[in-house]
Amino acid sequence: MPGMLMDGGGAIVPFSGEPGHAVAAAPPVRNIRHGVAPPISRVYVSFSSGNLLQVACLRPPNPEGGGDRGAEEVSGGRVVEVNLGGGGSGPGGADAEEIDEAEMRRIEYGSVPAFALLQSRKNALVDGSGMSRLPSVSEHAEWWQYVLEYSKTIGSLLGNPDSLSAYMIDDPKMILKVKEKPTSLKAAWELLEIFFVDKQLQTWLPERLVDWLADYDSLLTKTENTIYRTLINFQKKLINLQVVEDDPDYWSGLSAALSVGWLDIVVNMLRFHGSYQLDQMDSRETENGLVEAVAVLVSTMPRMRPDLPSGKLGQCCKTRPDFIKALEKWRGQVSKLECSAFWIQCGHQKTRDGLKSLLHIMLGNIKNLTASTSHWLELFASHLLYIRPFTVGFEGMHQLAQKCIQLKPSADNSGLTGLLTGILSENREVVLAECTKNFGPWMVTHAMELLTADNDYADMMLHEERPNFGGISIEELHRLVYAQVLCSHALTWQIAPTYLSSCLNQGLGLLEILLLKQPIQDNRVVLKTLEICRLYELENVSTNIMKIAGIYHWKHGRKGTGVYWFQQANDKVRLDRIAQQLFEHIGKSVTDDSFKQWEGLLELLGSDIGSAGGLEFLHRYRDFKRSLQMAQEGRTGESVRQTVEFLIQLMRNPSTPQRFWLPLLHDSVRLLNCKPCPLLNVAETTLLLNKLQELSLAKLRPDFSNIHLPSHALNSVRLALASNLARAILEEP
Amino acid sequence: MADPPSFRRHPHPFSIDLIRWLPCSSSSSSDRLLAAAVHDPAAPSSSSSHLHLLPLHDPSSPLAALPLPSRAASLRCSPSVLAAATSSGSLHLLPSSLDAAGSAGVSVPAGAGFHVGPVRGLDCGGGGEEWVTAGEDGRVHVVGGGGDGRVVARRLWDGKGMAGYEAARWASAAEFATGGAGCGVQWWDRRKGDAVVAQCKGVWGRGIVTGMVHSIDIHPSRKHICVVGGSSGTIFAWDLRWPQQPIPLSGLGLNGTAQPVSESEVWEVLFDNYTQSTDIISSASTRILPVMMCSEDGILAVVEQDERPLELLAEPCAINSFDIDPENPSDVVCALEWESIGVLTRGRDTMAEE
Repeated sequence: MPGMLMDGGGAIVPFSGEPGHAVAAAPPVRNIRHGVAPPISRVYVSFSSGNLLQVACLRPPNPEGGGDRGAEEVSGGRVVEVNLGGGGSGPGGADAEEIDEAEMRRIEYGSVPAFALLQSRKNALVDGSGMSRLPSVSEHAEWWQYVLEYSKTIGSLLGNPDSLSAYMIDDPKMILKVKEKPTSLKAAWELLEIFFVDKQLQTWLPERLVDWLADYDSLLTKTENTIYRTLINFQKKLINLQVVEDDPDYWSGLSAALSVGWLDIVVNMLRFHGSYQLDQMDSRETENGLVEAVAVLVSTMPRMRPDLPSGKLGQCCKTRPDFIKALEKWRGQVSKLECSAFWIQCGHQKTRDGLKSLLHIMLGNIKNLTASTSHWLELFASHLLYIRPFTVGFEGMHQLAQKCIQLKPSADNSGLTGLLTGILSENREVVLAECTKNFGPWMVTHAMELLTADNDYADMMLHEERPNFGGISIEELHRLVYAQVLCSHALTWQIAPTYLSSCLNQGLGLLEILLLKQPIQDNRVVLKTLEICRLYELENVSTNIMKIAGIYHWKHGRKGTGVYWFQQANDKVRLDRIAQQLFEHIGKSVTDDSFKQWEGLLELLGSDIGSAGGLEFLHRYRDFKRSLQMAQEGRTGESVRQTVEFLIQLMRNPSTPQRFWLPLLHDSVRLLNCKPCPLLNVAETTLLLNKLQELSLAKLRPDFSNIHLPSHALNSVRLALASNLARAILEEP
Repeated sequence: MADPPSFRRHPHPFSIDLIRWLPCSSSSSSDRLLAAAVHDPAAPSSSSSHLHLLPLHDPSSPLAALPLPSRAASLRCSPSVLAAATSSGSLHLLPSSLDAAGSAGVSVPAGAGFHVGPVRGLDCGGGGEEWVTAGEDGRVHVVGGGGDGRVVARRLWDGKGMAGYEAARWASAAEFATGGAGCGVQWWDRRKGDAVVAQCKGVWGRGIVTGMVHSIDIHPSRKHICVVGGSSGTIFAWDLRWPQQPIPLSGLGLNGTAQPVSESEVWEVLFDNYTQSTDIISSASTRILPVMMCSEDGILAVVEQDERPLELLAEPCAINSFDIDPENPSDVVCALEWESIGVLTRGRDTMAEE
């Protein structure tokens, strides 16, 4: 069975490269300049944030100790920060230069809605069918269309080749239209979509692959020649050529373009032939006729496909019988032209040989096809077009690919060719390995949805919980890896929860860790973190974060903000502690300056949080202090009466702490002494005297906390109260 | 037939925290300019924050980049000055004209004499060109020009950490409003001493007693009414004539309001002159004018008293900031969390469709 797991307990064996290579290519080596003189005894390496690597190089400690002056001046080591370039969140290796970090982040942002929508649909499907792995046939038939929509959405993020064509001015000497520069990421994504998702392509898969090659031929290899490179080089040469048809590269380019089906380029290049010049048309009539005949044949080549994009040439055949009939007719015309007697009359040798070579390609001559193509994938496409247009199924294409690889071995196996080989061999594990190795975590995470669009085996392989992965599936493993890459960047961490929440085993645990690790210095970051907690219903985490933020702000002197966060967290323990601290602080000193500092805090704490009645006392105490201040300023007589009422209320209230009794009474001494008439009646005075007596008895207990008041405070209060009592008795009827 | 609104999204390679329209006089050409506070966490911390001047036709290509010592916490424009306050507590006054973008502005450094920590309350107004600053450290300053061209920061209040301010807005030459975490909204009148003359706790969603104020706006023709946006999707109006009865406009779980337009932090609120009230007859002085808001859960909407909110944008990411073109109120620019700038042009007769 293809793709069967190896016997080693289901372990994944990494794909090590082309079958012909015994040893895999050595990993890239990067030199770091740390500036530490040898010898170096220890090296520590750790990731900092994002793409930053921290390397610490330490020298051995000097056994002579501090005695030697020279040893003291030698540095003990150094820590350097190394930027690994695009290796952090973008595709790894040489392809990193294609997409910069900002562009990669744009791709990552744009992928989130499509990914979340697909997960939502998947969850709805599972809930609706009641079977987690075997949805019904009709639902399964629709599922690949959801995946196709997802794939189109994400593919559009990777670049849109058609976006620039509307603005191009036609250049007569332009062979290759200028497009948005293609990327390997986009090319790989389209390959996966073509082969795994889009069912409508099954009948014309060879043609679709030819289209793909037309877009991405330039990416096949970095070091070896391609048809694209051949044409680019010829285009540069074209400006200076006087007689185009005398140049061998002209005919090589024509053969190359025709072999891979770039018909519009071939026809365009044929029109460069000198026989089309007005001043030469009369004398080269036969020659021009032959060129034009070949151009017409090229532009009417039968194509088995539903439609042709605008600007492309060929004759569309929607069904196989139509295609066979048209192909036979067209091939007959090509053969007829090849046997024509007009070739004898063609005086230009290069034109005659070049045009005949084109005819041989159209007739499927394998020697001409092999000579015209550079890369095995180009040879593969030419076989699909001219030799085996009816190749169907992965097995047939895979065999053909192997044959082409033998004919044109390639030492530079780029990610794209490895990916295609894995696809054609129907080996999902190899496809995953290629995506991981060459395109990075973003690709793997989002491509797994394509692999499982219509494949039960891939679905099982990716979703099976594996003991050697700690009980998680391959899919979850890759999502966790991708989420951790996102977490390492200050801008992309906020989209990691979308992927973590789709990991059923360890996702939420890692999400909680991620949220608790966010800095709490910035209120905006705290609010962002709390918003994520709200979305994913992580109430415990949000409560903890608010408590931590409250402690942070409280300890840094921002008491108002600290209390705010404690209140949001309903942290009664700490709010009670603050209230107690407030009690003790006020109890130590009753000066106006210190009390004013706590008035704002009292306002913030409110009256419904904290010990029952405790803060209520503080509010009454504040009212008492305010009224007392007004009374002492001699504003109104009413304030004096009100102050006394506050005092009586406070002393009556059982919630008033005992340590506040004497300060309250002492505050009122001046008020009691400066009035000729008594402010308290007999009952009120008796109440206060009893409190005072109770306080005197409390002083004898060992646990009594001493109040910082003058030693004569007690006596002055007692004297004031006694004096008031005497006058009150005389006043009463 | 109504003109459909158009929305364009322009990618930007940095995090865009705040965005504002600059006056027409800022540029010699006819192109409008935007000011954006951007942040690049990958750069060294001493050079990670800038103010970018962006042309409206291509906001992805900055015309000028003015460095800031730390991340911008607030951004305001007056007819001639672009002001930014930072998360470290400094204030920077820069000329808003592109021709003078190269000349150095003046700064008030962070520290014991000014602010320590983020200054999110910033507004221009007062008698002359005076800037009120309110910080999370509980301090309130008025920064104005000294006679010799320098700026002088006068401290109005030092809460000593008992209150943390997040928003500030001038109401008149002598009055302004502030808001913060847990302390609601405060009204200051410099003619009556340097203290709060009125305050309001506000009405907050999600059943909690208090919240965090993020933004305040006061309409120039109704200086006694301010609209407040804050946490839990809360938007309420406060009329000084009835200081104990704030008017809820939106909020999660609040009775008396329509369905909440947002459940998350309301970052900014602005009175929207473009939206005409659908009930012309009852547009008395007691009615709250339409208010535009943006939120952490990606909503840009217009909220009216006792009306269903009009949702203009619903993005998958947060909208950090927005601004209505004061000279052409149909145009709205917003800063999207996913490193892009959105430009929304509202068509005519938008409200007629409803």
